[in-house]
Amino acid sequence: MTTLAGSRRLRLTALLTPVSLLLGTCFLVPLGIMAVYSFLTPGLYGGVEWSFYPYNYGRVLGAPLGDVEDFDPVYVEILLRSLRLAGIVVALSLVISYPAAFWVARFRGQRKSFVLFLVTLPFFASLIIRVYAWMLILRPTGFLNLVLESAGVIDAPLQIIFTEVSVVAGLVYILLPFMFLPIYASVEKLDPALVQASQDLGATPWQTFRRVVLPLTLPGVIGGSLIVFIPAFGNFVVPALLGGAKVMLVGNIIEQQFLAARNWPFGAALAMLILGTVLVLMLIYVLRIGRGGVAAGAQA
Amino acid sequence: MSRRSGRVLDAYGAVFLLLLYAPIALILVYSFNSNVVNMMAWEGFTLDWYRSIFGLTTRLSESQIYVHSTEALLAAVRHSAIVALCASTLSTAIGTATALGLARHDFRLKRVYQGLLVLPMVMPDIVLGIALLIFFVGAGFKLGLSTIVIGHCVFLSSYVFVIVSARLAGMNTELEEASADLGAGPWTTFRRVTLPQIMPGVAGGALLAFIISLDDLVITYFIAGVDSTTLPLFIYGMLRRGIKPEINAIAILLLVFSFVVAATGLWLRSRRQ
Repeated sequence: MTTLAGSRRLRLTALLTPVSLLLGTCFLVPLGIMAVYSFLTPGLYGGVEWSFYPYNYGRVLGAPLGDVEDFDPVYVEILLRSLRLAGIVVALSLVISYPAAFWVARFRGQRKSFVLFLVTLPFFASLIIRVYAWMLILRPTGFLNLVLESAGVIDAPLQIIFTEVSVVAGLVYILLPFMFLPIYASVEKLDPALVQASQDLGATPWQTFRRVVLPLTLPGVIGGSLIVFIPAFGNFVVPALLGGAKVMLVGNIIEQQFLAARNWPFGAALAMLILGTVLVLMLIYVLRIGRGGVAAGAQA
Repeated sequence: MSRRSGRVLDAYGAVFLLLLYAPIALILVYSFNSNVVNMMAWEGFTLDWYRSIFGLTTRLSESQIYVHSTEALLAAVRHSAIVALCASTLSTAIGTATALGLARHDFRLKRVYQGLLVLPMVMPDIVLGIALLIFFVGAGFKLGLSTIVIGHCVFLSSYVFVIVSARLAGMNTELEEASADLGAGPWTTFRRVTLPQIMPGVAGGALLAFIISLDDLVITYFIAGVDSTTLPLFIYGMLRRGIKPEINAIAILLLVFSFVVAATGLWLRSRRQ
């Protein structure tokens, strides 16, 4: 028996060695180095000096921490804007996806698979192409202005691109599947008998929704909100293409620090702030909802 | 549900599908527009934008196109293909091994591994991208295709792990036990019993990894070298320089390709269930 246990142990080690090496060296170590970098002094020519320097965070959070020397309120503004827009994106994609999930769930058999296929397919379209589609729609000479002008609704083209509206539209469009799939998964599990029972017992449609349907689909709603919020918050591609210089989000500032300003420690500090926000949200989620939901959400 | 609310829901469903597909359909229509002055005003049907991508003769002038030589575009396509093939193969092997290890064994650190594997999927792209950039530069790696492949494997392995795990969870262990009872060694049992059963999961995971790798922009953006531009990076660069109608044709070719791969994957899955 000892040799059997030994060989099982050996097999387990063999199976887990590749992933341990990969995630150890190329995930945990880089995150650790990034954390260290965020406390280093930015060097003159884009490098770093190996001395402790808390002011990378001070530039963003300086005033509340009692340090106003390097503090620049523009960073707090950008951070708050990123949070606000990510919140709006979550709310809009929730409002759009929730009824759609019920619509798909009503189909049966082959037709249901087909509708589900139709809904999932755009998810696989290249992300950059999906963002481009909205550039095509929202530009001053774009499709929307073309339609509105020829219909006589407006005289001069509306400036929609390079506003918060266009950034939100782009983010909602690319992140919609992440909201739809978890919600659909919990709507699919919803037992129609419970809804029927609630109606039979004399509940109004609103009461049935509020007391039966909503609580039972809440795990999907929360899971979807989390996995939409995370990429919306740190995104830099959508604001770069649809927001321009006017609607900068925290992701754009990080990108600048790494590729233009060459202030890596400050960029690392901003990334740590994003990571911190995400980890806090994840922690709340795991503690409140339980472990199973994370995997289910990520799976979608 | 009443008939009327059912009809409202159907109407909503139609609007929902329209929202999903109209933006893509718009690109498709404009990719055939022959108007070279105003790309939004329909003038007539042409294949010139597609022809110019492939370097065929067109009636377009130099200033109307981005891709002056097809070489840069083809190099980007080639880089993307190499990265996606290598990264999806490696991460499928790693993710599958991990799934087997965690599903068939109990050990103390199991929960730690499960939690660790979720992290790369939920981590914001940009954070992983810059962490890898600092790491690669600090460790003296030359940024290029190999750093992109490694970077992609970090998060793709988790996706493969999740998909293969789901397959393993729905599978009972009786056949594996029977195989062992009949005297098959662990390797034979794996090859003849376990692998055929989890194959749809492995294939699905590999396809998903392939598509995600092919499409990744943000992580690649930070860890690609100057001479290892991938297709999404190439398109991003084009869009930052302004929109020319040629982009429509490139977009459609890319969409057709990813839809074919995705549809194959979804079809395989539905057939095997």
